[in-house]
Amino acid sequence: MIKTLATRLWKFLKSFQLTIVLLALLMALVVLCTLAQVEMGTAGAVNAYMRSFFVWRQFPALPFPLPVFPGAALVGLLLTLNLIAKTLDIQRSWTKAGMWLVHSGLVILFAGEFVAGMMQVDTNMSIEVGQTVNYVQSYKNVELAVIDVTDPAFDEVYSVPDTLLSRRASIPVPGTPITLNVKRFYPNAELSNLPPGSPALATAGVGQGVAIVERPTVTADNDMNQTSVVVEPVAGGRSYGTWLASVAIGQPQTFTHEGRTYALTMRLRRQYLPYAFTLKQFRHDVYPGTDIPKNFSSLVQVVNPAQNESREVLIYMNQPLRYEGKTFYQASFGKNDTLSVLSVVENPGWLLPYVSCVLVSLGLLVHFAIVLRRSLKRRQDKKEG
Amino acid sequence: MPTLPPPPRHPHPSLLKGALVGIGLLGLTLGCRPDGVSHFRVPKETAAPHPDHPGHAEETMPPQAAGPEPAGPAASARGPLKWSLPKGWSELPGDGMRFATFKTPVAGRLEATVVVLPGPAGGELANVNRWRGQITLPPIDEQALAAARVVLKTKAGAVNLYDFTNDGTKSRLVAGLISTPDGNTWFLKMSGDAAAAAKAKPDFMRILESLRLD
Repeated sequence: MIKTLATRLWKFLKSFQLTIVLLALLMALVVLCTLAQVEMGTAGAVNAYMRSFFVWRQFPALPFPLPVFPGAALVGLLLTLNLIAKTLDIQRSWTKAGMWLVHSGLVILFAGEFVAGMMQVDTNMSIEVGQTVNYVQSYKNVELAVIDVTDPAFDEVYSVPDTLLSRRASIPVPGTPITLNVKRFYPNAELSNLPPGSPALATAGVGQGVAIVERPTVTADNDMNQTSVVVEPVAGGRSYGTWLASVAIGQPQTFTHEGRTYALTMRLRRQYLPYAFTLKQFRHDVYPGTDIPKNFSSLVQVVNPAQNESREVLIYMNQPLRYEGKTFYQASFGKNDTLSVLSVVENPGWLLPYVSCVLVSLGLLVHFAIVLRRSLKRRQDKKEG
Repeated sequence: MPTLPPPPRHPHPSLLKGALVGIGLLGLTLGCRPDGVSHFRVPKETAAPHPDHPGHAEETMPPQAAGPEPAGPAASARGPLKWSLPKGWSELPGDGMRFATFKTPVAGRLEATVVVLPGPAGGELANVNRWRGQITLPPIDEQALAAARVVLKTKAGAVNLYDFTNDGTKSRLVAGLISTPDGNTWFLKMSGDAAAAAKAKPDFMRILESLRLD
């Protein structure tokens, strides 16, 4: 019984019909994802259609979303299994070496996309001419930074991610005497000045004069969630009031506990680096007599004390800097050409598509050589016979 | 004619099982990324040693190379909007989200404030309806909003001006809103008793007319 089931499953996995159905589904997903980008933005649509196992839809009559279509992650997984099954089914002899290489290359290509989907981290570095920056920041995810600013030379930064704020009522900050009691968390909110006489949620800081209205979250490329949190820091059994921290409030708000000053600020999630970039020059070249962009380039000084390294690097369009596992691309600029924005991509599997291309090309060449040899041999046999 | 050996047609459950288990484990490992409080000791940040250049809208690269500008403008950036005060008026520093409070020489219940918020701050209609609510007037729609709007040209750009009076409560509100090139929206509002507001309106209009970017 189990053996029959296994044989059936094996037959199903290696079937060519499954390949066709999966490729058709993949094509449909590409179309749907492209259409969805208008409303959801690139990242939102890619996450909903390409990097999920199911496409979920919320129906007004139901309290929970329902899966309505297989996501590209599930289709890709099945396609990989289909490919592996098909590969194992190919006879293991020298005559099929080319096909083995081609199939292995394709499996590696799928694995590369899986690694990228699961592990690629997209961030950016926004840097002004003359400024030194030692961190990259997320495009969408935010953090509540509790910063001990007492030391005149260094800041002790304790980063509480939005994902933790959204689900925890009480968050101890390790390394400090502070515990944050999260009163309310708004993934997206609109702040406005509080009408006179209305009660405020916050009892300290800027939030005392602010009215907060929760808004649906946004995913479109140019929209930004104004993530906000109402939080009560408690240290040594003493409450320091209820504070409103929001992406919409840029200024850090401070309180002092036992001689140490702590700043609270909600900002895009940062990842600090063991090295720093200083923007020495930003160039925005146009074709003579027009405003048509010709080239954008950032001349940065890379300073890495651990490697005893200090060198200049020119980053320009299609010429990124690969450094310590990250790739820095010239992405955007502003502030009258004094601000450069570098897109930073960290993908541990970036080599896999290259390996895959080499294997597939090699496999096709080998297969061609084998078929050619066989064909020549047949012709020879015919002549002799 | 040479014959090829018969192809093996039996499955390889051990290999398949191994691959499945491997993929499953990888998925589990990646799905359980820790998400706790992290700590960094970093040198204090230094600002760029050149002045900011207000008044220049964010430019972007061609679509294929462009990425979103990471940080939206923050209310704390305050921005470049400046004004002149008429005789007898003075300015108190802001508190919280309020950028400034005007002290008027007019007697009676009257308040004049400046608030700056990042971005469109919920949109014009929502803010105007919030103001109308403050003097207990019902909300209006886009059409009525357009009819009520008076556009005032200033050196800082166009100010959208609204003047509402509630005859029932004898209260009046005169307010202007303007977006500055740094992406912030400024709200200059005067509200209170209708009589006091009528008396102070010419001076308040002078403040709005004097708006400029520095």
